[in-house]
Formats: sequence, C-alpha cells, structure tokens
Amino acid sequence: MEMIHLILIIFLGGAVLTYFAGKVNDILRDALFILSILVPAILFFTNVNPESYIDLSIAGFNMKWGITHFGWIFSLIVLGLGVIVSFYAVSFMKGRDKVGSFYFNFILSIGAMLGILLSQDFVSFFIFWEIMTWSSYLMVVYNGNQVQKIGIKYFVFSAVGAYAMLMAIVITHSITGSFLITDLIAVFPQLSNQMHILIPILFLIGFGVKSAMMPLHVWAPGAYSNTPMAYTSVFSGALSKMGVYGMVLIMITLISHIPEGHWFREVIAWMGAFTAVLGTLWAVAQDDAKKLLAYSSVAQLGYIITGVAIGTELAMLSALFLSILHALFKGTLFMAVGAIEKQTGTSNFTEVSGLIRKMPWTFLASLMAIIALAGIPPLGGFVGKWMLYESLINSNHYILVIMIFFSSTAAFLYCYKFLFGFFLGQEEKEWAHVKEAPALMVVPMIILAAGTFILGAYPGLILSPIDAGMQAIGFEATQGHYWEMSVILNQWGDQVVLQPIVYAIFAIFLFFFLFLFFKSRKNTRYVTTKDISSSGEVPLEHENLTFSQNFFQPFLRAVEPVMRRQIDKYYNEFGRGLEAIFDFGRRIYTGNGQTYAIYVIIFVIILLFFKNNLFG
Amino acid sequence: MEPILYKVFGAVVTIILAFVVGMTYMGLSRKITARVQNRVGPPVYQNFLDALKLISKKTAIHHGIMQMMGPAFFMVTSIGSLMFIPVLNDGRFFSNLNFEGDLVFLLYLMVFGPLGMALGAGQTGNPNSAIGVTRGLSQMVGFEIPWVMALVALMIQYDTTSIVGLMEAQSASGTWLVFSSPFAFIAAVLAMLGMFRYSPFDIVGAPTELASGPVAENGGKYLFTMMSSNSIFAFVKLTLYVDLFLGGADNLIELLIKTFAIYLIPMLYGLVSPRYRTEQAVRYFWGWPLFFGFLAIMYAVVF
Repeated sequence: MEMIHLILIIFLGGAVLTYFAGKVNDILRDALFILSILVPAILFFTNVNPESYIDLSIAGFNMKWGITHFGWIFSLIVLGLGVIVSFYAVSFMKGRDKVGSFYFNFILSIGAMLGILLSQDFVSFFIFWEIMTWSSYLMVVYNGNQVQKIGIKYFVFSAVGAYAMLMAIVITHSITGSFLITDLIAVFPQLSNQMHILIPILFLIGFGVKSAMMPLHVWAPGAYSNTPMAYTSVFSGALSKMGVYGMVLIMITLISHIPEGHWFREVIAWMGAFTAVLGTLWAVAQDDAKKLLAYSSVAQLGYIITGVAIGTELAMLSALFLSILHALFKGTLFMAVGAIEKQTGTSNFTEVSGLIRKMPWTFLASLMAIIALAGIPPLGGFVGKWMLYESLINSNHYILVIMIFFSSTAAFLYCYKFLFGFFLGQEEKEWAHVKEAPALMVVPMIILAAGTFILGAYPGLILSPIDAGMQAIGFEATQGHYWEMSVILNQWGDQVVLQPIVYAIFAIFLFFFLFLFFKSRKNTRYVTTKDISSSGEVPLEHENLTFSQNFFQPFLRAVEPVMRRQIDKYYNEFGRGLEAIFDFGRRIYTGNGQTYAIYVIIFVIILLFFKNNLFG
Repeated sequence: MEPILYKVFGAVVTIILAFVVGMTYMGLSRKITARVQNRVGPPVYQNFLDALKLISKKTAIHHGIMQMMGPAFFMVTSIGSLMFIPVLNDGRFFSNLNFEGDLVFLLYLMVFGPLGMALGAGQTGNPNSAIGVTRGLSQMVGFEIPWVMALVALMIQYDTTSIVGLMEAQSASGTWLVFSSPFAFIAAVLAMLGMFRYSPFDIVGAPTELASGPVAENGGKYLFTMMSSNSIFAFVKLTLYVDLFLGGADNLIELLIKTFAIYLIPMLYGLVSPRYRTEQAVRYFWGWPLFFGFLAIMYAVVF
C-alpha cells in the first residue's frame, strides 16, 4: 500500500475509532486522539517525498495524489500546528460534553487539510475541501449557541465559495477534458479572454472566503470566536491558510501568464490592504478577546493576500513567511485565550484583569506572541513585515505601503489591549482564586512562542523550504539575493543583519533588567495594585480603579467615519431583499392543497384558451 | 572585523555622548520655557542633579516583574536605535551597528520602547498610567503615518532604504535633502511635533490632568532609567533628522548646532500652544501632515 493512502486511512480510521473509544474509556480516547494525528504526521515527514505522485482511478475519474514542494510548506503548518494543538486540546476538553465529536471533527479537518495539499486533481481537491468545510462548520456550531446567526453565516459563505469553485472546476473540465491541476495550468494561457477572467474569479471567490478576504470576511469574527479555542488555533492558524494556498496557485500559476494579469493582481492587492486596515480597526474596537483575535486574523491575512497578489519574489517570500509566523503566534494567542477562559470562565477584557501573577507562563507566551504579531524585532514577525514593506516599495506600491504600515501601527493598540486587559491593571478579589493552566496547555503555547523567537534570529531555517517551494511554482532561486541564514536583503541591496541585532538587543535588555532587578528583588517588598498614588490619595480597598471600559475611545472617535460603514449591513440588506423574493414565492407555494388545485384549474383554462385561439 | 572590545567601547562612548547631550537639551528646554514664562528657572545642569538624586535613592516597593521589564524595554529602543544611526558623516565617529539595519528596521525598533514602557506602566495598576498609555498609542498611530510617508518619499527618490545610503546621496550631490525633497521635510517635521510630546501633543504625560501618566508609580532607579532613556531617545531622533534632512554633520560642534536648531521647533511651538484632546491630536496628523506626505511621495515619483 502507498504511504499516502495509509496516512489518509489513519486519519479517517483514527477519527472514527477515537469517537467510539470515548464510549469505553476516556484515557484510551485521549491517547487515540493524539496518536491519530501524531502518527500520520511522523509518517508524512519521514516517508513522503515531494514531487512523487501516485495515480488512481475511481468511478471514471482520474486522480493524482502527491505533495509538491510548494504544498510541503503548508503541510508544515497543518501538521506542525495540528500536533502541538492536539496535546493542548486534550487538556482543554477535559470535563466537557461532546468530547468525542470534537475529537472526530478535529482529526477529520486536519486530515482533510492534508488531503487538499496532497490532491493534484480538482475532484479530490473539492472533496477534501468540502470535508474540511463540514468538519469546521460542526466545530463552529459545537457550543450550540448562536447557531442561527453565526453557523448559518459561515455555512452560507462557505457554500457560496464552494459552488463558485465547483463551477470553475466544471468549466475547466469542459474545456480541457481533464481534472488535473497541471492540465489547467498548461492550457490556461491559450484560453479566450472571458475564460481568463471567469475561471480565476470563480476560484478566488472560493479561496477568498476561506482566507476571509474583504468583502467575504463577515463570517470570520463570529465563527472564530464561537469555536472552542483549542480548534480556533487550527482554524485561524492553518485552515485559513488553505485559502492562501489556493490563492497562490491561482495568482502565480494562472494569472501571471496572461496579459490582463497585472490589473487583476493590483485589485487583489488593494483588497488585501483594505482587509488589513479595516480588520485592524475593528479589532481595536472589540472588548472580547476572541473577537479581537478573530478580527486580527482577518487583518493579518490581509497582509498575506497583499503579498501574494504583488507576487514579486520578495513579496512571495514575505507572504509565505508570514503564513507560517501567523500560524505560530495566532495559534499561541488563541490557546492563551482558551487557557484564560478555562481558568476564569470568561474571555472578556471588561470582566477579568490583573492575571499576570496568577498565570505567569501564559503571560510569557502571550507577550512573545504579541511581540511577534506586532512585528517588532528581534522576533520573527519583524522579518515577514520587513520583507513585505521592502517588496512593496521596490515594486512601486507606495500607497499600499502606507496602508499596511497604518494597519500594523494601529495593531499596537489591540496588542496592548490584549496584554493589559487580561494580565495587567488592577488585581481584583474576584479573580484571586485563579491558578495557572495545566502544564499540558502551557507547554504547547511556550513551544509555539519559542518558534517565533528562533525564526527571528534564523529566518533562513524556514526560508529555505519556502525557497524550494517557490522554485517549484516557477520563481528564481532567492537565496543570496534576498536572504541568508540570518540576513535579509531587498532589491537595492540594503540589508538587515539579524544576528548582531539579536545579541545587541538582548545585551541591552539584560543589562538594564538586572540593573533594576538585582537589588530590588530582595530589598523591596511587593505591594498590591491598590497601593498606589492617585492624585495624592491612597485609594481605599473598596474603590474600583479598573480601567477597561471604552479602552480606546479617543482613537475610535478619531477613526469613526471609516467605521460607520459596515459591510455586514450590505449583506443584511441583500439578505432582506432575498427574503422579500422568497416571501413572494411563498405566496405562490402556499402549501395548501386547494391553492394548488386552483393553479391546476387556471393552467388548464389557459391551455384551453390557447388551444381555442391558436389551434382552434 | 574589529575586536569585540573596541565595539563595546565605541558603544559606551556613543551612549555617554547621547546621554549628556540629551540631558543638557532637556535642561536648556526647561530654562528657555522658564524665561518665556518670565520665571528664572532651574540651572541648565538641573537634570543631571535630578538623575544623580534618583539613582542614589533606595527603592522600597515594587509592583511585580513587568514593572522592572518595562523601563528595560524602553532602554532597548533608545540604545538599540542609537547603535544604528551614524553620529557623524563618513564614519568619523564609532560606526557601531550602522551598516546592519535600515530605515524600516529602525521604524519598528523605535516603536518598541513606548509599547514596552506601556506594559511596565500597566502592571502598577494606576488607572492614570493606562489612560496615558492609550492616549500615547493613539497619538503614535497618528504621527507615524506622515513620518512614514516622508521616509518612503526619501527611499524612492534615492533608491535606498539605508540611512548611510541616504547620507552618501547627500554628500555626493552636495544638496541637503531638505532642499531636494522639501515636502518630505515638512511632513517629517510636523510628525516630529507629535514625536517629542511637547504641547499641544503632551497628552500622554498631561501634567495636572493625568498626574504624569505612565511614569506615575515609578521612582528611584525606575525613573532614572526612564529619564535617561528619554534623553538618549531625544538625541537619537534629533540626530536622525539631521542625518536624513540636514546633510549630517562633519564634527560634533556642527552636530550640536544642527540638532539644537531642530530641537527648538517642537519646543517653541509647544510654548505657545494649549493641549489637544486625544482625537484632535490624532486627527491633526491626518490633515496637513498627511497632505504634505502625499505631496512628498508624488514629488519623489515625478522627479
């Protein structure tokens, strides 16, 4: 048996076995859950070679499975994140209901994502895509609350995307007579003008929905925040990257080879930039950590989409690097929110505060992830951001640079809100009992956060597989031109040498930290956050000094004109319009037998009328 | 490759220079402010006395580990960015890390400090600190935009993103960038008003309103670290403006004259202005400064 078959069978069998093992024994179920993700991951990375394919034929469809060098980058995200989060999930789900179905969907969606990367033909691609959508949909409605509002929204958008994609696949088949992706790529430049526009747009709708591109993003904030946090790490970190994966295939292998491609890519790049700006502004306005991170994910994917759409070597490097980085830091942050929610029962900044002394390790992981998210050196986020700016400047997209920069500066606001809201500020009696999350939840967070740190000093570790993947889809080799193991360069030859920077920053930080820490640790005593001076008075114990309501009100007032327009409203208007049409339809299809009888009689009368007039 | 000890020596000399110059400028600004308001004012060296007093004080209490990390983060930004900025032209001063990073890197390093200090201020639990921080971050989003536009204009005009590259371009052509890209200079100077946090943009510290904001609850060594970090950072920003727009400096005297000339702009403007509200401050930067930023980019694209 081929290794790829075995891997997919383990995923599928593991999902079913784990589900039923829950009826026997909880520990057996947890062990099976971890194994059915860990074992295929190990098998995949040890036994599956890129660029070796197997053919198979089911029900008359020729299929081709195998991983390209390009897909391999994304398999790193899917399986790497999947394995680490699976450990977290075991601890996260302890003592909850419906654990079996959670595990089932978790394994299934990891398997489906790997399947998408493995499939080299559109039939299996679409099937795995649908499995992924369905399993994630079941996760979105897992809690059972707001199924109507959030679940349906996610489902409708996913369905629209899937049908658009299906239509593109059918059109492709009618033209090329084949379902293989390589065949479409080979034929595409010779197609007619209409097809040049139609096929990419249909595909991009499908992929744009999953990667939450404006204006197709409206499902994301609700869906991300309604899902159990253990899965949201994967949802935002890996599943949305499937959209990016598809988008790269379309943008680079199809659109680059047609004359109109330039304009096409400009439009998508602008959409990406708008996604980044508006996503960030909305993230700043949120009071719930889950919503905040969800909007932030939308914004971060905006950067990635812009990078993909610009499509120069440096831009692609940055987009793919940011994809991996986003999986690392957003995975960490969603896990941190999950840990806080598990320990305190809420994820709302206005309710919980001052956890730093109770959950120090969660704070440490969040701090590192936030620094990476903000793109501050020396952590990994900076490398991706730097390459994105330089690529935009080098390719003459000056306004886009400003927009992206605005968005990433405004991101500091929600970064601070996240850290301050949960960990800093007044310590309240209400949360005095809170303990650090179990080790099984903390360790995966720390591992992912440490990943951002290593990539900040040695981005070459991950840029070399990215480079191999980019060469597989037709780029020149970039090592030496744009990056070394710990150097990044732009087109003009300006460089950032990361290693001495990291050393210098750490030397300075350690020196002053020890300067402040050394004596004061022993000779000073800790005082509570009530022991402060507020205008010369010492506040009393019962006085509430927590600051969390309307946190960024002045800023939001300043940007208020931009945020007044919500894309959601337009969709709702559209939905109401559709409802009116359906309402009219319901007046005709009343479901009443007598009405239908009248219709039949009217129809017969009309027929008779016609018969008499025309044929009589 | 120079020996590592020489590098460290160069760094220490640069830091001491920045510290002394920054502190002196702050003292001068206190003196000038006093004279404008018809007071005698403290002596110019008053800030050194303050620093000496602060460092010799014993600290009795602390609010936790993040409070200690906050000022250290701020120092990382001040000293870190100092290492990447050439003090004098043509490598006449210690080169430190001048060739290892470019402008985009510097932009990001320079925003790290306020964020780190904000975290330190957050742990003290003083609501005034947090309010000051939210104002500061909002204002930062405001002035960063024209500032970045000015820098992007320079980058595309001279096809380089490195500071050393821009300085070489000036000495090669013989004209300062303030003349060859005037709009960028205007946008950058308007952004600088927010960067230095004098009136009308002193909404972060906001004396009498927020009780000095983020630095409340910090005394002794903490306040010393913040204060010296602040003065080093002031030197960094002034030197960066001189390097980018005024053709750098050939010797230390020239550097002092040019930096002080730049320093007078936000200070004197502040003396005659009342304080803005936060949203007014943010919107101010998205008015004329943004317009000049656009002009600068268009100018750079056309020429």
